[in-house]
Amino acid sequence: MQAAEATVTNVVESSLYRKFGQELFISQQCADQKLTLWIDRNRLIEVLQFLKLSFPMLYDLFAIDERTRANRAGQPDSDFTVVYHLLSLDTNEDMRIKVALNESDPDLPTSIGVWPNANWYEREAWDMFGVTFSGHPNLFRILLPPTWEGHALRKDHPARATEMAPFEMGPERVAKEQEALKFRPEDWGMKKSNDDNEYMFLNLGPNHPSVHGVFRIMLQLDGEVIVDSVPDIGYHHRGAEKMGERQTWHTYIPYTDRIDYLGGVMNNLAYVQSIETLAGIKVPDRAKVIRIMLSELFRISSHLVFYGTFVQDVGQMSPVFYMFADRERLFGIIEAITGGRMHPAWFRIGGVAQDLPNGWEVMIRTFIDSMPARLDHYDKMSMQNKMLKDRTVGIGAYSQQEAIDWGVTGPSLRATGSDWDVRKKRPYGGYDQFEFEVPTAVHGDCYDRAVLRIEEMRQSLKIIRQCIDNMPEGPYKSDHSATTPPPKERTMEDIETLIHHFLNVSWGPVIPEGEASVMIEATKGVNSYHLISDGGTGSYRTRIRTPSFPHLQQIPLISNGLMIPDLIAIIASIDFVMADVDR
Amino acid sequence: MKWSLTSPEDANATSLSDDFVEEQIKRNVAFAKLEDLIAWGRAHSLWPFNFGLSCCYVEMATAFTSRHDIARFGSEVIRATPRQADLMVISGTCFLKMAPVIQRLYEQLLEPRWIISMGSCANSGGMYDIYSVVQGVDKFIPVDVYVPGCPPRPEALMQGLMMLQESIGKERRPLSWVAGDQSIIKPEKISMRDQLTAKRIMATELREPKDV
Repeated sequence: MQAAEATVTNVVESSLYRKFGQELFISQQCADQKLTLWIDRNRLIEVLQFLKLSFPMLYDLFAIDERTRANRAGQPDSDFTVVYHLLSLDTNEDMRIKVALNESDPDLPTSIGVWPNANWYEREAWDMFGVTFSGHPNLFRILLPPTWEGHALRKDHPARATEMAPFEMGPERVAKEQEALKFRPEDWGMKKSNDDNEYMFLNLGPNHPSVHGVFRIMLQLDGEVIVDSVPDIGYHHRGAEKMGERQTWHTYIPYTDRIDYLGGVMNNLAYVQSIETLAGIKVPDRAKVIRIMLSELFRISSHLVFYGTFVQDVGQMSPVFYMFADRERLFGIIEAITGGRMHPAWFRIGGVAQDLPNGWEVMIRTFIDSMPARLDHYDKMSMQNKMLKDRTVGIGAYSQQEAIDWGVTGPSLRATGSDWDVRKKRPYGGYDQFEFEVPTAVHGDCYDRAVLRIEEMRQSLKIIRQCIDNMPEGPYKSDHSATTPPPKERTMEDIETLIHHFLNVSWGPVIPEGEASVMIEATKGVNSYHLISDGGTGSYRTRIRTPSFPHLQQIPLISNGLMIPDLIAIIASIDFVMADVDR
Repeated sequence: MKWSLTSPEDANATSLSDDFVEEQIKRNVAFAKLEDLIAWGRAHSLWPFNFGLSCCYVEMATAFTSRHDIARFGSEVIRATPRQADLMVISGTCFLKMAPVIQRLYEQLLEPRWIISMGSCANSGGMYDIYSVVQGVDKFIPVDVYVPGCPPRPEALMQGLMMLQESIGKERRPLSWVAGDQSIIKPEKISMRDQLTAKRIMATELREPKDV
């Protein structure tokens, strides 16, 4: 442990001890050096309420099945652990609270009263682990179908579809599943009519052109005005967290690409950084700059899709063709460097897959030189359009306080005036070496969210230009023993290197036991992988904290009282992909 | 093609030569068997359903946009309802929770209808052999063309579309429900891998990725 600095976390820790008594807490040492305290479930809500004063945002809430974990020295006995990851934007610090639960009675009081966004996280913990939260108003399944039996992320639940009963879809099954998917307003405490008239209930999705994927939202309508709405997710659940327990550390990288499928290698970065923290790998400068350059290229690519689809959803049919054409030019670069388009899976533990090809700078320079003028053109074409402004200015607005309460991060948070960008506040992977600005806006409405992302593209271009101008020489991966695949040059010369190479390629690296999560500023908000290593060649638990999950949860707050077309503008302005929600 | 110029005053005086009439008939009249003509019409007027599941849908959307422009192949009338469409591209992972919805949408598609399975997940589950994913959409609906890739490039989808069009052009369906054979005769499915393997293994020098 480092010398006690006067950080807010330390102050909070000591005030916690003063208020509740030190014997209530057990401290756990994590590889990422974040304060992690175990507490008793009976005092949970009090403690969380006290902590909320210092950590206003619930960044993540998830469970761990500890029953088969071997290395838990110093941690209290637990079958299921529920983790509360708290964040403070003002002081830029975060901490974790852990609660141990017994298999026979996995029950906790709900924390919705403390943080409203705990609602979906608790439903997810129930769905995946069978942990119940007493006092939760709608503890239904959220990711898996309502007819599902068992809890998928428990260690005794099969992982593979091919280990389970063969799939069949006869008429009875369809009827049963369709019946289960039916929306029942009374389950959500909705009235069917008011004094004057009956409400209409409209089911939007899960297949609808304007919901950006397989997202469903049920609307309670009074005429065309949305009285209340219930988003329904889980149609895109691909079991990515369970997959993390099956794949080796290295072979899981391609799965991360498909989490935020518009963010490409940006996802790899969040994942490999957590592993590198666990293993203590230092990444060489060249690899860092290559990673930043590619991540920013993907940020532009993702924002271009956002831009095109956003303006299309509010009625402009042609701009999307321009944005996708630019994206194609960008993919030309990605393909030349990585060989892939959307999912290159190109970052590696300790570096990147290969060095940059000859002639890369010319390609990228041509692209970034042409982009600013094109963005100006698009701005005139789309953002200055009066109709677009009428549809989006003042629509779907929320305050900074609401954003914090609901766990909103990324551009959607910065549109409310905050300048909290992980790249600036906690420069990871070498971002401290770059000059760029963090654009902010004040109104927090649909228009501001779009303007902000467009400005972010310009800032990304600036970062990429600095990457080209200052690309360091040197190796593109670390010579740490866990680097995968290890450097091959010396394998045919000395036996030590050969053995390392053989093991790291066939079994994959062994990552020291521990826990770590490293936040990155992904395309849609803050993304991190909470990885738990049990000292093996694969992860014991992979928790993927994605930004889009809380963003969707917050839709009712900002759309109730508006009209259906406004909801479409809101959905478009949030910029989510369902894989980033359901994983 | 032959053509001639006449001044307006002489227009009425000029009688149409036999050559000209014959030429016009050749240009405007086609003789074909009815069933061939209908099959040709079907093949070149596919109306795809605007349906997407995951990552593949983004590549499918890319195929609609300028660089690739699927409209060149007569398949751009994207419909937002299955009741107006006859082609559904299963672009993405077939999630278990989504399967009953896909089934229903398929049933709502107009007959005759065709399915393209786009990407490894829809083909077989792909890299997602996991509890929440159906191991291939052909577990519950029939597939006409499988497009491999994760995700397939837009060019691959367009190739799949052209293969489907070729196949529909060869498909024979009853012309009336009272006359003739009532069965649907589909051409045999071809495997591109089998067709191309011989050519592919001829490659002995592969380009190294060191240049762009």
